[in-house]
Amino acid sequence: MPTILRCKCIIVGDATVGKSSITQVFHSDGSHFPKNYVMTQGVEVLVKLVNIPETSDSVEMYIYDTAGKEIFSDFVKRLWDHPSVIMVVYDCTSETSFSSCVKWLERVRAQSPNTQIPGALIANKVDLEQRRIISPKKGQELAQANKLEYFECSAKEMQNVDTPFFYLANEFHKVYEERAELFNSLS
Amino acid sequence: MFDVALSPAGAQIALATSSDEKHPPENIIDGNAETFWSTTGMFPQEVVIKFQTLMRITNVHISSYNVKKLKLEASETEDSNKYDTIAETELEETDSQLQQEEIQLGEKRAHSLRIVIESGFDHFVSLHKVVVSGQAMHH
Ligand SMILES: Nc1nc2c(ncn2[C@@H]2O[C@H](COP(=O)(O)OP(=O)(O)O)[C@@H](O)[C@H]2O)c(=O)[nH]1
Ligand SMILES: [Mg+2]
Repeated sequence: MPTILRCKCIIVGDATVGKSSITQVFHSDGSHFPKNYVMTQGVEVLVKLVNIPETSDSVEMYIYDTAGKEIFSDFVKRLWDHPSVIMVVYDCTSETSFSSCVKWLERVRAQSPNTQIPGALIANKVDLEQRRIISPKKGQELAQANKLEYFECSAKEMQNVDTPFFYLANEFHKVYEERAELFNSLS
Repeated sequence: MFDVALSPAGAQIALATSSDEKHPPENIIDGNAETFWSTTGMFPQEVVIKFQTLMRITNVHISSYNVKKLKLEASETEDSNKYDTIAETELEETDSQLQQEEIQLGEKRAHSLRIVIESGFDHFVSLHKVVVSGQAMHH
């Protein structure tokens, strides 16, 4: 039996940056594991299985996509309990969405302040080249300053949407391997 | 009193919410603290130990790592879904050594024991050994 890890992926960012589009594109594309829960109060959880290369292991990603205003409720706080990985999204045509990223990141990290949580920073809507105002360099710098991996994608053109999810699944799998080794060394 | 949660004593794992075949849940009832059951992500997690018969149990000792909130539930019948909470505890974080938690129960009747790990200090936690002191009930 292959090992299946379970990974809670919290996707955050300002309204309209493309969180739901990214989640839907990733979820619908060639999925062999279609499960879909629509939950009350504006939170949707989508599940997708990601295989880890060169192993027989896989990671079941539970992607928590939260809609706008419910984000401050106690309900959402409880749902965000024990985040496994974080995806912070901004719209590369919006300065405001870019400057909100740190706030979103801190809000999720505050759920487990002493746990190392793998994270990705996503510049979405890169298809809108003419309107782009946040350069790749600015994105990379923000990512680096906050220990995130930087990615660019376009949910609209279905460009590079899977890559950050695969990255996060792999990072989570690495953490598991490290912990299993640590558990082995105890007692 | 004996350790009734040992596989040679007829104890079995009836259910576990995580399974990595390299670190299966049976490792918690093999009497060896070096082998362990590892959870594989997200909380809560649970494991059910089924005893050979209905037992009168008095205390539970758990060797673990990174477990934060833990709940013990007991069921008196062979295959029921009816569990009563018999203990709840919050563990201290340890650094590179196992947590050793001793839980006194007074006297409880149990055919199976459900261990619910409600939260952890990290993404993954391990259970190395569970010792349940008790003896068979005579009908
Ligand atoms: N041009 C462009 N539009 C996008 C892209 N991703 C999302 N959108 C649009 O942006 C709007 C908001 O997207 P949505 O996924 O609902 O954002 P959310 O509020 O963050 O979940 C919608 O009109 C989408 O069609 C993209 O990559 N490029
Ligand atoms: Mg949305």
